[in-house]
Amino acid sequence: MKLFALTMALALPALAAQEVHPGKIQGNTAAPLRIEIFSDFECPHCKSLHDEILPQLIRDYANTGKAYIVPREFPLQGHRYSREAASYAVAAARVGKYPAVASALFRNNASWGTTGKVWETVAAVLSPADQAKVQALAKDAAVQKEIQYDVNYGMGAGLDRTPTVILTRGARRQPVTGSILLRYELLKSLIDDYLK
Amino acid sequence: MVAVVLRVTLGAVFAYAAYLKLAAPWQLFAGTIADYELFPSWSIAPLARFLPGFELVLGLLLIAGLWTRYAGALTALLMGAFFALMVRSYALGMEIDCGCFGPDGDPISWRTLVRDGALLLLAIGVTWMYWKPRRAAAPVEEPKVAV
Repeated sequence: MKLFALTMALALPALAAQEVHPGKIQGNTAAPLRIEIFSDFECPHCKSLHDEILPQLIRDYANTGKAYIVPREFPLQGHRYSREAASYAVAAARVGKYPAVASALFRNNASWGTTGKVWETVAAVLSPADQAKVQALAKDAAVQKEIQYDVNYGMGAGLDRTPTVILTRGARRQPVTGSILLRYELLKSLIDDYLK
Repeated sequence: MVAVVLRVTLGAVFAYAAYLKLAAPWQLFAGTIADYELFPSWSIAPLARFLPGFELVLGLLLIAGLWTRYAGALTALLMGAFFALMVRSYALGMEIDCGCFGPDGDPISWRTLVRDGALLLLAIGVTWMYWKPRRAAAPVEEPKVAV
């Protein structure tokens, strides 16, 4: 039933890559396939996906022009500091530092997830000038709106867990959850089938 | 009559589960199989491609009432294997999806164990009903003819 709801929701048009700052997107948006990755910065499996799978996706699909990758923020309610982390990451996209900040947040999520020292983690990978910009931007209405857009998009699509990936090619959409996201050979096989 | 209802119910459940798996890319089911951490990696893709089709055939045979004894026995064996895998994973504390009804998130829990345990009993019951020796027809008493 949930699969049905998810499929129906994904069939709804017009929920595309808009409302995402270009600084978050990896690859050329003219590529035939869009890979949207819904993550929560405190989620351990999201960390694994980011650390182990994302570099391979970038190498095989974004860098080759086959696909572009759109990170989506989906802070889960049970994770106390995820929303704050997402705010800094989305703000960092506006100064071209999304990948660096996202990597730092995932790398240290066991630490700041306990201590709440999110900003310290973010600041460590930014120059003083960028720190000031990101701190200000994190409170900006446009940043909060972008995060909320991702959350609403995910909720509307029936997402109930992270990480979740949505593959979109033209009118075809395929949600992907579960362990396949951490098994690159299977994920690659699925994406390659989708590109055929 | 009871045997027919149970057989068709079991067949419908199997056919529905197979349909949900076949409607999704095989790689999603392959990921679920791999999660059980019991099968060699070379066997994952063939299993993911073969099992849903096999389930569908068994389900349709049970619904149609064809080769019922063999379809029932194979269904019971398959359910037994699925159930044993789920019990093992639950006992080991593995937090994985059962994969019973396609890729829709269905984590193994006491609820899924009860559900699949009931299906296993159903499969065993159907198999027993169709394999048990047919009771010999009661001899017809010859009418006593008054002389």
